[in-house]
Formats: sequence, C-alpha cells, structure tokens
Amino acid sequence: MTELAQTLVFGVLTGSVYALMATGLTLTFGVMKIVNMAQGAFLVLSAYLCYWLWSRFGIDPLLGGFIVAIPMALLGVALYRLVIERVQRIDPGLTIVATFALALVAEACIALVWGPNPAASTPGYFNQAFRLGSLVVPRAQFYACLLAVGVTVALQAVIRRSWLGHAITAASENPEGARLVGVRPARVGAWIFAIATATSAFGGAALSFLYQFTPDSQDVWIGLTLSVVILGGLGSIPGAFAAGLLLGVAEAVTSTYISVRWSAAVPTLLILVVLLIRPQGLFTRAARPDAAT
Amino acid sequence: MSERRRHPRSIRYLAAAAITALAATACSSSASTAGKVSSGPITIGMSLPMTGPVADVSKSGLQGYQLWLSQLNAAGGLLGHQLKLDVLDDGFDPNQTATDYTRLISQDRVNLLLGTFSSLLNAPASAIAARQGMLYVEPSGGAASLFTRGFTNLFFAQPGTTTSEPDRFVAWIASLPASQRPATAAYVTQDDPSAAPAVAVFRTRLQALGIKTVYDQTYEPSTTSFDAIASSVAHARPQLVIQGAVADDGAAFVRSLEKLNFSPKMLFQTNAPADAAYPGAIGQANADGVFTAEAWSPQAKYPGNAAFVAAYTKKFGSPPTEDAANSYTAGQVLAAAVRAVGRVDQKALGAWLHTHTVSTIVGPLKWNSAGDPEGSLLLAQWQGGKLQIVAPKSAATTSHIVTVKPAWAS
Repeated sequence: MTELAQTLVFGVLTGSVYALMATGLTLTFGVMKIVNMAQGAFLVLSAYLCYWLWSRFGIDPLLGGFIVAIPMALLGVALYRLVIERVQRIDPGLTIVATFALALVAEACIALVWGPNPAASTPGYFNQAFRLGSLVVPRAQFYACLLAVGVTVALQAVIRRSWLGHAITAASENPEGARLVGVRPARVGAWIFAIATATSAFGGAALSFLYQFTPDSQDVWIGLTLSVVILGGLGSIPGAFAAGLLLGVAEAVTSTYISVRWSAAVPTLLILVVLLIRPQGLFTRAARPDAAT
Repeated sequence: MSERRRHPRSIRYLAAAAITALAATACSSSASTAGKVSSGPITIGMSLPMTGPVADVSKSGLQGYQLWLSQLNAAGGLLGHQLKLDVLDDGFDPNQTATDYTRLISQDRVNLLLGTFSSLLNAPASAIAARQGMLYVEPSGGAASLFTRGFTNLFFAQPGTTTSEPDRFVAWIASLPASQRPATAAYVTQDDPSAAPAVAVFRTRLQALGIKTVYDQTYEPSTTSFDAIASSVAHARPQLVIQGAVADDGAAFVRSLEKLNFSPKMLFQTNAPADAAYPGAIGQANADGVFTAEAWSPQAKYPGNAAFVAAYTKKFGSPPTEDAANSYTAGQVLAAAVRAVGRVDQKALGAWLHTHTVSTIVGPLKWNSAGDPEGSLLLAQWQGGKLQIVAPKSAATTSHIVTVKPAWAS
C-alpha cells in the first residue's frame, strides 16, 4: 500500500512538471493552431539560462525562472514578428516547418555557447525530501509542482478574466468578428507567443534542477509536451494540467508495477486510446459539426 | 519463336554476368587497395559520438587520439609518413556509425582505422571493419558479445573486458567479515551490450555469496528520468546498489536517489564515476564512497603514463580522463604493430598483435585469438574528492577502503 501511495505521489509530482512544460505549447497549439516545434528548444534554452544564473551568480533556479521569463517573452515576440507572422501569410501549414527549423538553429546555438556536456543545477534543496509518515516527497519536485500550479492558475486567470484573455479567445474563435470590435489579431498573436515562450522559462527552471540536460534534450521534451497537449485537448490549460498528471501517474505506475521499458510507451498508448474514445481530447468539448461553416 | 524467346533471356544472363563481374572487380579492387599507403600522409579513420548523450566522453577520447597523433608526428610519424585523422560524428547512433565506417573505408579510403566509444557503437563498426578486412583497435567496447563473433582483426585496448569488471569488487566483498557484508542488493542497468552483461556477472557472483536480490531492472538507453526506478529501489531498501551505467545516466540515477534521500550502504556504478563531470552533477561531496572499475589510473607506474598525463594536461589544460587514456592506448597499440610489421598490411598487423605483448600506459597488453585482453580492471573508489585505486594492492593509491558510503550531503 505504501508503495502504491509513493508511486502516486511521484506520478503527480512528475506529471505536474510535464504540465508546466506543456503550457506554452497548449497556448500556441490550441489558440493559434500553430504546432510550435521549437517549444522543446525554448525549454532547454531556459534551463541553460537558469543554470547559468545559478552557477555564475548563485541565483536559485526557481527565482531564475522569473528573470529568464523576460528575455524569453521578448524572444517570443521577435520570433512571431520575424518568422511566424510572415510564414503564416505564405502558408499557415508551413509554420510547423519553420518552428522545426528554429528548434534546430536553437539547439546548435545552445551547443555553441554551453558545449555538448550535460548540465544540471544543484541548489541546496535538490537532494532533500519531506517525510509524511512512510511517504517521501522530494523537495525539488514539490517546489516544481507548486510552480506548475502557480503558472497554470495565473495563466487561466489571464485567459478568463483579463481583456487580453478575452481578446485572445475572440481572435482564435472568430478573427473577423474580433477585428470589428477593435482586436488586432496580429498583436494578439505576438502576445500569445510572448506568454507561451515566457512560460517555457518556468518549465526550463524546473528542468534545470530536476534533470540533467544537454542541447539535444529538446527531442525528449517536445515529444512529451505534445503528448500532454493532445491528451488534454487543444487550448485547454486546465486540460493540459490534468493530462500532465495523468501521464505522470501512468508512467510511474507502469515503471513500478510492469516495467521501466514499457513506461516509455505510455504516452503513445494513452494517445491511441484517447484518439479512439475521445478524439477531441480528454478535457475539451467536441466542436459542433456546423462550427466550421 | 523459341529462338526469339531465348534471345532476351540470354541478354538478361549476359547483363547479370556483366554486373556480377563488375561488382566482383569493384569488390576485389576495394579489398586490395584499402589501407595501402600512397605518397601522402597515413590517414587514420574513426567515427566518434561527438554529439548526443555521450558527447562529453567523446571529446576527451578524441583529445587522447589527437595527443597520440601529435606526439607521433613530432617523432617523425610512421614508416616515414606523417599521420592525419579523418574523424566523423555519429551522434551515438549505431546505424550512423556503420555508415561512417563504410564511408571511411570505401569513400575516404583511409589507411588505418581506430575504434569509437561504447560497445553499442563498436559492435557495428568492428563488423564493417571485419567485412572489409581492416584492422580494428578499439579504445572502448568491452562487452563479451563483441569477442564471440569470430573476428580476427578486433583488439580491445584495455586490460580487461566488462566480464572482468566485477572481479575485484566481488573479491573485496567476499573478504569482508559476514557482519560487514551487504545482505541485499539492487541491480539497475542500461540495456547496453557492455553494461548489462557486467551487471549479470555481478548478480550471479553476489548471489553466490548469499546476497539476496531485492530489485532488478533494465532500462532503455534513451531513459532520461530515473525517478520511478529510484523510487522502486528506495522502496526495496537494498544495502548494495549496482548500476550498469554508460555515461550521464550514472549521475542522473544518483540524483534521483538523492531527491528521495535514499543512500545505500554501498554503491557500485560502471563507467560513470570515472567521468570528470560526475562529482559536479551529483554534488561534490556525494561521490565519496562510490565504487567503479577503471582500466587506467593517472598514478599507475607503467612506462609513458606519467609523461602522457603531463603532456595531456599541458596541451588541453585539464588532466586526462580514462577515455582519453584509452584512446591514447589504442593509438599506441596500432603504432606498435605498424612499426613492428614495417608496412600497412591489415592481415600482417592483426597476426603480429595476436602473437606479441604491447607495452602501453595501461600496462602490458596481450590478446587471445578473439582480441579479448588477458587481464583485469582496477577497482576504484571516490575518497575525499579523488578517485583512488583500492585494488589490486600492486596498483593501489590508498590502502583505505570506505566500507559504508556516507549519507548524501546537502
């Protein structure tokens, strides 16, 4: 029983980090219909920046995430204006190719600056744990989980309660109608990209002290975050959070009770099952058949 | 009618015969010219994982090769020729490794080959070399399975293969009083042709000593998160943990154990603890007490070893790693054979190595007919921030062995 409880605790903590990393992708994928293949590279870039702040200036990676969010937001705006917006004008389908190219360029740049060696931050709490009876709760993962909850709640509040959130919703659901009420879709797009890349700073901060990473680690994270987004349903931030938790728990249970080898197949199996049973994702409503007309 | 029918078929036969003849000519031409030295420098080809998960290991490995080459060129080269390296990057992909070695032999037409890193990559590379009749001296790749394929051109440039890795550690455990021996053990290994067989030997021998197995798990090379494995290990509470690590998976697993605050009484990991980045990745003080097996020690008194350490440190600004020493050793083996034979004749070089002992910085190396070295690895342990050799006594850099690993430091 203790083993099961410990496995679930681990699954929830790991899953919340998956959700944190997938938040940016949920926004761009769900709202703008852009599969940002560079999101994994942004995560790794953020992890390296947080690692640099920690190793050079002793700044805790959790605080580092807030600092790194600013340049990442600016990077997001620049990329939207210089690349995404222009490519969309030619062919919206090309954005996946453009962002994939951006990911490759980002990986090469990271390798040039930091080299190919694995890096990891080791703040004081990274190897400490809370004990709840016989249960062990690693402090580093608990803090990362709190960060994930905080970012999700804050983003949901922005989307639901601010003018920007309403503008984002309007621009994504009915661009022409939004234009009539003074919303400029291009400006909204830049905002979405800024927010999405800024949230990758928090995911990168968690990555920097939870795992080792190399410039090519993005391959692992882009696959995982895409799985979370597909499971949760496009554009649903709470859905992505729940999907992250589901994935984390499923992986932990599989590793503990079946085999570590099978845990790598869990995201794919879950996606297959969800696509068969609920193609719109676990936490979004299916579009009305006449919605596209 | 029948004549007309026969005609196209005979053309087909002729065409097939012509193609076969051309292919045979091309093959015989490739086999006969591969490795021959023209008037230019002798080119030595290799494919290394310069990018990907073991890129850090490869960098020092390449530097070992570069130092060996520069020293050899400064001393006049080999057979009156200067030497140059033709290095390709395989990104730690076995398929790419096979492609690279095929390209080195068939397209780049290198004169000699040197090996890459890990058994995973050396397995396909050595097979390509064997198929093309090229000598293959490898600095790494000690999986027992590599030496059961009947290749006569493969030579491992370390004192022992992975199956000899448990020798000294198990002997030390057996020498402990029963009260100090671990009662339980957990085995975690990467599905790697080098690491997994070594861990299997550990398990068999430790079980024979009465040490009960409480956890046994094999993970994929692509595994990046070890939290679930560490959680299961912590739940099983073994006194001894053996990990068949290949590169940064060693530090990643320890980090996961640290996050859970589970510190086993004894910890043995293959390969990873010898990496210079290891203590930094797990926290400087946390390496203390961790065991590993090493092919080489910077303090060993073998001919040329001290000079190698000094020259490497001067050239690259940091002390050499075991991988650098291993690639330097592979170079020494190759050069010794070429010098002794007096020509670049792949068969003659292999025959000479099978019948002679080569003096290297890891000690004298001698091989059996399969290219498997007839020696054993050193047992090393992190103590006070240094990786000390604790066995055998003849090579030990300290007489002290930490029996109970300290708890993780904050």
